[in-house]
Amino acid sequence: MISFEITDENFAFKMEILNALSTVLDPELQVNIIDLGLVYDIAVLKSEQSIQISMTLSSPHCPMGGAIVNSVENCISHYFPLYKPQVNVVWEPAWSFEQITEEGKKQLGM
Amino acid sequence: MNTVITQHPSLYKIVVTHYLLAAISFLAIAPMLAFAVADLDGHYFQPHLLSITHIAALGWGTVIIFGACYQLVPVILDTELFSYKMAWLSIVTFYTGLLDFIYSFWIFEPGLHLQCGSLLLLTGISLFVANVFITSKKIKKPDVYQDFILTSCIWLLVTAILGVLMVFNFRYAFLPQDHLLFLKLHAHAGLAGWFLLLIIGVSAKLLPMFLVSTGQKVAWLKWCFPLLNVALLLFFIDTYFFGLNRFTYFIASLAFGGIVCWLIYVYQCFATRLRKKLDVAMSHTLISILLLILAIAVLPFIIFYQLKADVLAVRLTVLYGSILLLGWITSLILGQTFKTLPFIVWTKRYQHIAGTKTTLLPAQLYNTALLNIQFIAFLLFVVSFSFGLFLQLKWLIFIGVVCLAIVAVSYFINVLITLLKKSET
Repeated sequence: MISFEITDENFAFKMEILNALSTVLDPELQVNIIDLGLVYDIAVLKSEQSIQISMTLSSPHCPMGGAIVNSVENCISHYFPLYKPQVNVVWEPAWSFEQITEEGKKQLGM
Repeated sequence: MNTVITQHPSLYKIVVTHYLLAAISFLAIAPMLAFAVADLDGHYFQPHLLSITHIAALGWGTVIIFGACYQLVPVILDTELFSYKMAWLSIVTFYTGLLDFIYSFWIFEPGLHLQCGSLLLLTGISLFVANVFITSKKIKKPDVYQDFILTSCIWLLVTAILGVLMVFNFRYAFLPQDHLLFLKLHAHAGLAGWFLLLIIGVSAKLLPMFLVSTGQKVAWLKWCFPLLNVALLLFFIDTYFFGLNRFTYFIASLAFGGIVCWLIYVYQCFATRLRKKLDVAMSHTLISILLLILAIAVLPFIIFYQLKADVLAVRLTVLYGSILLLGWITSLILGQTFKTLPFIVWTKRYQHIAGTKTTLLPAQLYNTALLNIQFIAFLLFVVSFSFGLFLQLKWLIFIGVVCLAIVAVSYFINVLITLLKKSET
C-alpha cells in the first residue's frame, strides 16, 4: 500500500488526500482504489496549486478506466477545491494482486 | 500519461437502442414458440421454426452482440469506433429487414418481401462489418482477441450472403446443390463462425477482467483460433462436395479440439480468479458454457444418425439448435447484459459526480431479486424444453415455453429498471 515519509513536509496533507481517495470505488469490483493498490504516488505541488496522482488500472483495457480516472479528478476537485488535479496513469510497475491490501482482499472474498 | 478508455458521447443511445430491440425480440420468441409447439416434432425446415430461429439468432443474439460490440470495440481493438452514423444506418436497415423477413417466413411468402428483407439484413450486416474493419485499421497492437472478432465478422458476412442466396433460391432455384445442404453451411457459418468466434474473442478479454484472474494462458487461444477456422473451412468444402460422411467426424473433432482449448482458458480464468464469489450474471455465463458442452456432445450423434438416414437425426438437430440458440447464446446474453448495460448507464449518469459523494454502483442499477427469478426460470426452461424436445412430450415443451416467457418478461423489466432508475443527484 502507498505510504509516505513522516518527515515529508506535506505528510498530513497527503494523508488527507489518501483518505479522500479511499472513497473512490472501482465500480465493478466495488473496492476502493487505495485498497486495490491502484494509487502509486501522491505529489503536492504547492507552487502550481496542483495535486498529482500517479496511478494504474487493473488492466490496460479496463472498460471502466476512464470512469475511475474521472472519479479521482472529481474527488480531488471536490475535497481540495484550491488545487488542480493531475492524474497520470502509468503501466509500470504493472498492477498485480499482491498490491491489494488485506482489507481489499477481504472485500473481494479472497 | 497513457490513454485510458473513455465513453464516447454517442455511445449511450446506440448501445441502449440495440439492447432494447434485442429485449423486444426476445419477448417475441416465447409466444411464437407457443404457436409452433405442434411443429417441433417435425422437420426443422419449416416456416414457423425458420421464423423463430431467425428472430432468436438475428433479432436477439446478433442485435445485442452488435450493441455490445460498439461498447466493447474500444476495449478489444483499443481504438475508437470508426462511425456512429454507420452504426445507426446498420441497425435501422437490419431491424427493418428483420421484421419483413420474420413475417414473410412465418406466413411463408417466399417472394418479394422475403427477398427485400434478406437484402436489408445483408445491408445492415455489411455496414456493421465495414464499421468494425475500418475501425480495425487503427489497431496499434494486433493480438489474438482481435483475430477472433475480425474473423467472426467475415463469417457473419458469409452467413448472410448464403442466407440471401437461399432466399432467392426459393423463387429461382439456381443453386447447384440441395437447399438443405446450404442450410447446414449457413447454420454452421452463423453458429460456429459468427457466434462462437465472437464469443470466444470477447469472453477471452472480459472474463479475466470481471473475475480478476491471474493465471490464464493466451497460448490456448492461439491454438483454438486455427483449429476452429480450419474445421469450419474443411466442413464447408467437404460437406459441399460430399455431404455428411465419415470425414465429418474428423472435422467435428478438430472443432472440438478448438473448443477444448478455449474451455481450458476459461477454466484457468475461473480457477485463478481473485474475486471468489460469483454473482448471478457470472453464474449465467457458467451455465452458458455448460450448455455449449452439452450441444457439442449431441453433435456426434447427429452425424451418426444422419449417416444411418435415421429420423432421430432430425429430432437431435432441433435439440442441438435449441440448446445453442436458446441455451448457450441466450444464457450468455442474459448474464452479460447485467455486466455491460449497467456500466454504460452508470457512466452516463454518475461519472460526473463519482468521487465527490456516494453514488449507486453499476450492480445496484438492476433488480437482483428479478435477476434471480430470471436465472431460476431459465434453468427450468432449459431442463423442461430440452427433455420435452427429446422425448417428444408436448406438455413438457409447453412448460418450457412458459418458463421462457417468464425469463423474457423478467429480463425486459430489468433492462427497463436499469435504464430508468432515477438518479439520486
